[in-house]
Amino acid sequence: MKIPRLLRVLASICLVALTLSKVAAAADTKAAGNRKVAVVVSTLNNPWFVVLAETARDRAKELGFDATIFDSQNDPAKESQHFDNLISSGYRAVLFNCTDAKGSIANVRRAKAANIPVFCMDREIEANDAATSQILSDNYSGCVALGQFFVEQIGETGKYVELLGIVADTNTWNRSKGFHSVVDRFPGLKMVAQQSAEFDRSKALEVLEALLQRNPDINAVFCGNDAMAMGAYQALLAAGKAGKVKVFGFDGADDVVKAVAEGKIAATVMQFPKTMARTAAENADKYIKGERKFPQRTPVAVELVTKANVNKFGDYGRK
Amino acid sequence: MAASEQVGRVSAPPSNRRAAERAGQRPARLLAATLTLAVLLYFFPLFHVVSLQTQAAAAATAAASASAAFDPVTAAAKFWQIDLPAAATRAVELPALAPAIRANAESAKTQFSKSAGLGTAYFFVRGSGKVLSRDRNYLRLAPAGAESEIVALRIGPIFGNTVRDGSGLLDVNSFPGLQEFNALAAALNALVEKSVGPLLREKAVVGTTVHFAGCAEAPEGAAEAGEPLLTIIPVQAEVL
Repeated sequence: MKIPRLLRVLASICLVALTLSKVAAAADTKAAGNRKVAVVVSTLNNPWFVVLAETARDRAKELGFDATIFDSQNDPAKESQHFDNLISSGYRAVLFNCTDAKGSIANVRRAKAANIPVFCMDREIEANDAATSQILSDNYSGCVALGQFFVEQIGETGKYVELLGIVADTNTWNRSKGFHSVVDRFPGLKMVAQQSAEFDRSKALEVLEALLQRNPDINAVFCGNDAMAMGAYQALLAAGKAGKVKVFGFDGADDVVKAVAEGKIAATVMQFPKTMARTAAENADKYIKGERKFPQRTPVAVELVTKANVNKFGDYGRK
Repeated sequence: MAASEQVGRVSAPPSNRRAAERAGQRPARLLAATLTLAVLLYFFPLFHVVSLQTQAAAAATAAASASAAFDPVTAAAKFWQIDLPAAATRAVELPALAPAIRANAESAKTQFSKSAGLGTAYFFVRGSGKVLSRDRNYLRLAPAGAESEIVALRIGPIFGNTVRDGSGLLDVNSFPGLQEFNALAAALNALVEKSVGPLLREKAVVGTTVHFAGCAEAPEGAAEAGEPLLTIIPVQAEVL
């Protein structure tokens, strides 16, 4: 019996499709067996981010994953390379602390296109449809509380300097805006300089040294994170102004919590990196097990740490 | 030549003639099928090839326009005029909340507070009380139904997210991003300062009674004697 040509063509197409589906199924099976989770962190040159990354890795391991930390060294290009590698290596999920709120969106989208869910920790990306979820500190309200304490400590008149974090990071602005929502209500409090030290201790030291030359009569320094607060304190120490100029930080890093207890730093705000990292890892686990409903953003409460309550805090959280 | 062809066609058997006809029609059918398929694929493509960069840029533009289109003052006004008054009627009564906090602050938080995600817990509370004292920023009240306690009503500048988050009605995921959500908090605080603060500063003198609904951060524990159990930011107030 002669088989019509059209039928033969159709049969060939079906055969190719079947072969391809077998290959895809094999790839899926391989992916299902693969338990690799990537922790991509903006920098490991800051103890706070080390705690964030290591907690995420350790929680992922507890949940049965093979977790690896990738350090972006605050460089968006390196971050992009990490995403290239983890996409080609078949990772199942990414626990992500970005370098740039806008610039990192493309990396998250590439992972999403490759069916790799991304769970942001601490730093927000400015997109609602790229990451699977974002676990973020409530930076604004933390700096509202810090601003109120700042006014209590400095009074309603005085001069101060603000050291900003990385300008491309929304945390920088949420903190700055929270602080200014309070302090700007007191016209007697004058900000004589506002400059970025990129969340970096050494840069904060250099920046404040320069600013002190032009503004020797400041009463306070508000820093967008604790690394900068420690750098600012060192600059003040070198200038013989430690204790006379009050320093305010944000993060709840261990060295700063100790400095608050010793009266060297006036206050910080405790973020909870371990809570954020664990939640992100647990969300990744739930996703891999089939859950798909995650709130895009989950705010995490923060707490003001002053000499009055510092004994309740330590090891990047509450004791 | 033409005559022999004519002879050949006439003399061929019918089966061969049909085969020859089919063979002659095959290229035309194939062409028609290809054209039909091409037209179908043009209008209904099996897949789209999109540059990731273009896609990311389009998404960033969409996010930026959503962010630019968001007006915190308008959003706050709508919430203030419509949603918040409706929710105020369902706020927890202070005579029920105060003893619950005194008995076990953690249980009271679980039972009565609202929080966004893993965020700070807030109470949305209503009640009344007699003004015991006042200063530039606070009224201190003896609440009706819980006279042994003291609560403070904020009448000075309003800061933070207490009003935004206190009712539990606003979800961060309904807004373009955290910066917009924070701008909404500032706009709501401005409304409290404009709509409630002046009335209380003018009329709530010592000895008067204030009826109020407002938001307060849930305390870690019950306050010591003489200290306010709660510090409430009033969103509605009436002085008698």
